[in-house]
Amino acid sequence: MDGSIGTPIPRRDAMAKATGAAQYAADFGHTGTAYAALKLSSVARGRITRVDTAAAEAVPGVQLVLTHRDMNQDLGAETFIMKGGHMQSSFMPLTSDEVHYSGQIVGLVVADTTEAAEQAARVLNLEYAAQHGFASIDDPGRTKNTVEKPEITVGDADAAMAKAPVRVDQEYSTPAQHHNPMELYATTASWNDGKLTVHSPSQWVMGQRAALATIFGIAAEEVHVVSPYIGGAFGCKATLLPHTVLVAAAARRLGRPVKLVVPRDAMFTVGSFRPATRNRIAFGAERDGTMVAMVHEAVGQTAEVDHIAFPGTNVTSRMYDIANIKTSESTIATDVNTPGFQRAPAEASSFFAFESAVDELAVALGMDPIELRIKNEPKVDPVKGLPWSSRSLVQCYRRGAELFGWDKRTPGVGSMQTDDGVLIGYGCATATYPSAMVPAAAHVALSADGLLRVRTSAHDVGTGAYTVLGQVAADVLGIADEHVRVELGDSDLPSGPMSGGSVTTGSAGSAVHMAAMALREKLLLVATAAKGPFAGRDPATLQFASGHVVGADGTAHSLADILKASPAGSLDASAEWKPDLMDAEKMQASLLGGFALEGPVTKTHAIYSFGAQFAEVRVDPLLRTIRVSRMVGAFACGRIINPRTARSNLAGGMVWGASFALLEQSQVDHPRARFANQDLAGYHISSCADIGEVTAEIVDETDTVVNAIGAKAVGEIGIVGMPAAIANAVYHATGIRVRKTPILIEDLLG
Amino acid sequence: MQPFTYARPASLTEAFTLAQQPGAALLAGGTTMVDLMRGDLTAPSSIVDIGHLNELAAFDTSGPVLRFGALARMADVAEDATLLSAYPALAESLQLAASQQLRNAATVGGNMLQRTRCVYFRDGVSACNKRVPGSGCSALDGITRDMALFATSEKCIATYPGDWGNALAAFDTSVEVSSASGTRTIPFAELHVAYGDDPAVETTLRRGEIITAILVQATPAGRCSTYLKVRDRQSYAYAVVSATVALEMQGDVVQSARVSLGGVATKPWRSHAAEAALTGVTLNEQTALAAGHAGFADARPLAENGFKIELGARAVARAALVASKRI
Ligand SMILES: Cc1cc2nc3c(=O)[nH]c(=O)nc-3n(C[C@H](O)[C@H](O)[C@H](O)COP(=O)(O)OP(=O)(O)OC[C@H]3O[C@@H](n4cnc5c(N)ncnc54)[C@H](O)[C@@H]3O)c2cc1C
Ligand code: SF4
Repeated sequence: MDGSIGTPIPRRDAMAKATGAAQYAADFGHTGTAYAALKLSSVARGRITRVDTAAAEAVPGVQLVLTHRDMNQDLGAETFIMKGGHMQSSFMPLTSDEVHYSGQIVGLVVADTTEAAEQAARVLNLEYAAQHGFASIDDPGRTKNTVEKPEITVGDADAAMAKAPVRVDQEYSTPAQHHNPMELYATTASWNDGKLTVHSPSQWVMGQRAALATIFGIAAEEVHVVSPYIGGAFGCKATLLPHTVLVAAAARRLGRPVKLVVPRDAMFTVGSFRPATRNRIAFGAERDGTMVAMVHEAVGQTAEVDHIAFPGTNVTSRMYDIANIKTSESTIATDVNTPGFQRAPAEASSFFAFESAVDELAVALGMDPIELRIKNEPKVDPVKGLPWSSRSLVQCYRRGAELFGWDKRTPGVGSMQTDDGVLIGYGCATATYPSAMVPAAAHVALSADGLLRVRTSAHDVGTGAYTVLGQVAADVLGIADEHVRVELGDSDLPSGPMSGGSVTTGSAGSAVHMAAMALREKLLLVATAAKGPFAGRDPATLQFASGHVVGADGTAHSLADILKASPAGSLDASAEWKPDLMDAEKMQASLLGGFALEGPVTKTHAIYSFGAQFAEVRVDPLLRTIRVSRMVGAFACGRIINPRTARSNLAGGMVWGASFALLEQSQVDHPRARFANQDLAGYHISSCADIGEVTAEIVDETDTVVNAIGAKAVGEIGIVGMPAAIANAVYHATGIRVRKTPILIEDLLG
Repeated sequence: MQPFTYARPASLTEAFTLAQQPGAALLAGGTTMVDLMRGDLTAPSSIVDIGHLNELAAFDTSGPVLRFGALARMADVAEDATLLSAYPALAESLQLAASQQLRNAATVGGNMLQRTRCVYFRDGVSACNKRVPGSGCSALDGITRDMALFATSEKCIATYPGDWGNALAAFDTSVEVSSASGTRTIPFAELHVAYGDDPAVETTLRRGEIITAILVQATPAGRCSTYLKVRDRQSYAYAVVSATVALEMQGDVVQSARVSLGGVATKPWRSHAAEAALTGVTLNEQTALAAGHAGFADARPLAENGFKIELGARAVARAALVASKRI
C-alpha cells in the first residue's frame, strides 16, 4: 500500500496489539525473577517512628524488605523534572523517615511470588507520628504562593476593564484528576555485569536512562531502558518514577531480576496527577463585542515538596485580539504527591474556565458566541506582536459550524427540545495547543531485502508514532508501506524526544525526514556514479516512486538494483535534527536525555495548533441527567501525516474532554487528606454509552515555519475545548451556568 | 490477599459440610468476592467454590411463584422472555447492573450479597466499622454524596448497592437457604439488616447456610413495573438513586402500588409511604411526584447527599409514570 504522507494507512502495530503479540513491560520475563510489592503510607503527613519488619520477613519466600532505614546510601541524587532533571518529584521515597502524603511509598518487599510479597507488605508494621494534612486547595488556611515571573501584562487591563460597558468576571474550578491509563505502571529491572536493563512503560527512555545512570553511578551506556509498547500514558509515564528506582536498587542488592506491577489504587499516589485549579477570568468589552480587557488569575494545586504550576496564562493571553491583558499565577501547596503532566496540562483546565467566560460574555452581549470569537480574532500574537506560523481558527469555526449544524441553534435558553421535552443545548469553544520542538536523532537503513528500517528512541504511546514516522521516511524514498519497519521505545536507538507536549511527530518526524533525505542523497550518488544504473545523469532529474528511481525519460530502476551498485549492498544514514533557532550545544544536551524545547513562541513566530469544538447535550427535564449526544471538532494542525491516526487522537481527546466535563474527579477525603476513589469503579471515565457521535475534522493548513515536515501539534488539542463546549451547551439547555467540573446531576437539580 | 485453602465440592451436600467450617466463605461467580479478598477487605481461611453446582443454576418464571436458583447467571435471568414481559422491573435491574462481562459470570445469589461500595470500606486503610469493627466510621466526617438517607446509624451510613436486591424489595420475595442442618425460608425484608450497632453484620444468614433459591410471589403488578436507575454515567456505574415501581392500574387510577428505593438506604428499601401515597390516586405528574416526596419524608440527609431527596422523589415519579403505561 502507498504509505506516503497524507495517506490514512492503518496502524503498523494494530495487529500485534489486537492479537496480544505486542509485549508490554509487565509481559517481559526473566528466569529467576523475584516479585515486589509496595507498602504505602496510611497517613498524609508526619514521620515514621518505628519499623518492625519481623512479620514481613517471616512470610515464606520473602527475600528483601526495604524501608527508609535501608536505602540512603544506595542512591545518587537526581533532580525533579521542573528543575532540569528527570524525576517525577524532588522527594525520593525511602530516603528519609518523612511522610509527605498519603499513599507515599514507605516500604518495598521482594519475594519469590507476588502473593508472598503482597502479604509481607501488608504485615510490614510501621508506626507514625502523624500530623493533620491537607489534600485540597479548598481546605481552610491554605496559603497562596504567588509566582513572580510569569505574569503577562499588555496595556492597562484594570483601567480598560473599569471603562468597559460590558463585563464578566467569574471564578471557575476544576478538581484533581488522575490519568488512569489501562496499563498499570510496571517495572522489571535486571543487572548483568554491572549493567542495568529496565522494562518499564515510558514516554522518555532517554531521560530514564540518563537518570538511572546518575542514580546508580554508572555510565549512561550501561543502562538500557526498553519500552516498545505503552498501554496509555497521557503524561504519567513521562518522568522517572520512584518505584522504578527502588525496583532497580532491589534487583542490584539481590543479584536477581525484580518485577513490580503497581496496583490500581497505588497509581493514584506513586506517580503524578492533574492538579486542581481555580481560575478567575474577567473580560471587558464594547457593546459591539470588541474585547478591550482580559484578566486571568490562575491558582493551581501543588505539593508541599515541589512547586509545579500549569496556569495556562501563556495560552489564554494569545487567543483574542485584546489590547489590555493582565495575568497572574499562584499555587497552593497541599500534602499530596507531586502533580505533573496530564494531557494538555495547562490548557485543559484553564480553557474550561476561559472559554466558559467567553460564552458568558457572548450571553452578556447578546451575541452569537462564534461571531464574538471571530470578531476578536488576532492577526498577530497579542502578547509579543509576532506573526503566527499559521492560524486557521476562523476556518475551523466555519467548517465545524457547518458540520455541526450550528445554524439550527436558537439562542434562547431551553429553546430547543425534543418532542418528549428533553432539553437540547448547543455549545462551542476554542481549542489550542502549543507546537514546541525538541531535538531528535534518527537512523534509516535500506537493505538488500528491500526493507526500509526507521529507528529512533521516540515512543508510540498508542498515538500512531510507529505508523507516521515510517510514513515520513517512506514518503521521501517512495517506498510502499509494507516494506517499512519502525523501531521505537528503546534507549539503544538514536535519541528521540520525550513523547510529551505533542512533540513526537514534529520533532522525531523531522529527524526521520532529515535522515531519509540523507539516504536519498546517497542513493542518488550511487545511482548516478560510474557503475550506477543512471551513470552520468543529473541527480536532480531523478524521482523516487513505488520502490524505484525514475528518470525524466521514464526509465526506472528498483532501489534493490541501485543498492547492488553500492559497495556494501545496503545504505543507511543518520541525522540529528534541531529546531532552526536552537544552538548546537543545547541540542547535544537534549539528545543525551535532556529536554530542550524551542517554542511555541520563538524569536520570530508564535506556533500553535487551533481548533473549534462543538457539543450537543441532552438534559432530562426531570432527572437532570446530561448526555453528550454529539461532538464535533475541526482542527488545523499544519500538515497531517496520517489522517486516520490524527483523527483518532483528536477524537480520543474529545472523548476525554467529555469525561472531564461530566465525570472525572479524584475525590478528596478532607479529614484524612487523601484521594478517596482510588479505583475505576469510583473514578469515573466515559463508558461507550456516554459518547454519542464524534466527528473530528481536519482543516487543511500549510505551515512552512514550524519544522522540516510542516506538522504541528495533534496529540493533546482534542481535549482542550471540549469541557467548556459542554458546559456552554449545558447552559444553553438549562440556563444554569456551572463553573466547576465535573458537572453533576445535583448541579442542575435547582 | 491472605493465604486460604480452596475447595470445589462435587455436590451440594459436600458444600454444606465445607461451608460449616469456621472461616469458610462461599464463592459463586467470584466477581466481587475475589476483589474483596485481593483488597484484604475480607480474609476467609477457606473458600468453598460452588459456582459450578448446576442444580442451583436453574430458574423458572412461569409458575405462581417465580423461582431463581441462587447460581443462575445475571445475564441469563436478564434475558428471560417471561421476566421481560411479566416483570420488566426485575429484568431491568439486572440489565442495568455492572457490565455484560460481569453479568455473564455473576450469579443472582451473589449479587444480593455484594457489599457496600463505601470508599472507606473499600480502601482498606481508613477507619471503618464494617471492615474492622470498633475502628470508627470515616464516612461520618468524610465524603457523603454516596451515603444513605435511611436506616443509618452512628456506626455506619453506607448504602446497600445491589440493583437486583433493590428491585426484589418491591415484591413479595423470600430466600430459601439450606445447610447441613436443614432448610428454611427467610422473607427478603429480613435477609439484610440495617447497618446498626455492628455494621459488619449485614445479613441474617447463619454460619454454613447457602442460599439455594430466590422466590418471588407472582403478581399482576409485575407487568406494570419498571426499575429506574439514575447514575452519573450511562453504563457501568452504581445508582445514585434507583426506584422500582410496580402498579395495578384501573384506567388512570392506581389500585395498588409497590415501591422500593436504591442508593439511599443501608439495605434494600421498600417504601410503604410512597406506596400509600400512590394507592387510590389518579396518576399524573403531580400525584406521582407527591408520592415520590412522601417516600422521602423520613429521610435523614447528610452534608452532601441531600440532593438525593429531590432526585429520588423525581425518580419515583418517573418510574410510576413509565410503569403505568405498561398495561
Ligand atoms: C466493576 C464492577 C461494577 C459493578 N456494578 C454493579 C452495578 O452497577 N450494580 C450491581 O448490582 N452490581 C454491580 N456489581 C456487582 C456485581 O453484580 C456482583 O459482583 C455480582 O453480582 C456478584 O455475584 P457473584 O456470583 O460473582 O458473587 P461472588 O463474588 O461469588 O460472591 C459474592 C458474595 O456472595 C456470597 N455468596 C455467593 N453465592 C452465595 C450463595 N448461594 N449462598 C450464600 N452466599 C453466597 C459470597 O460468599 C460472597 O460473599 C459490579 C461489580 C464490579 C466488579
Ligand atoms: S459508612 Fe460504613 S462502610 Fe463506610 S466507613 Fe463508615 S462504617 Fe465503614
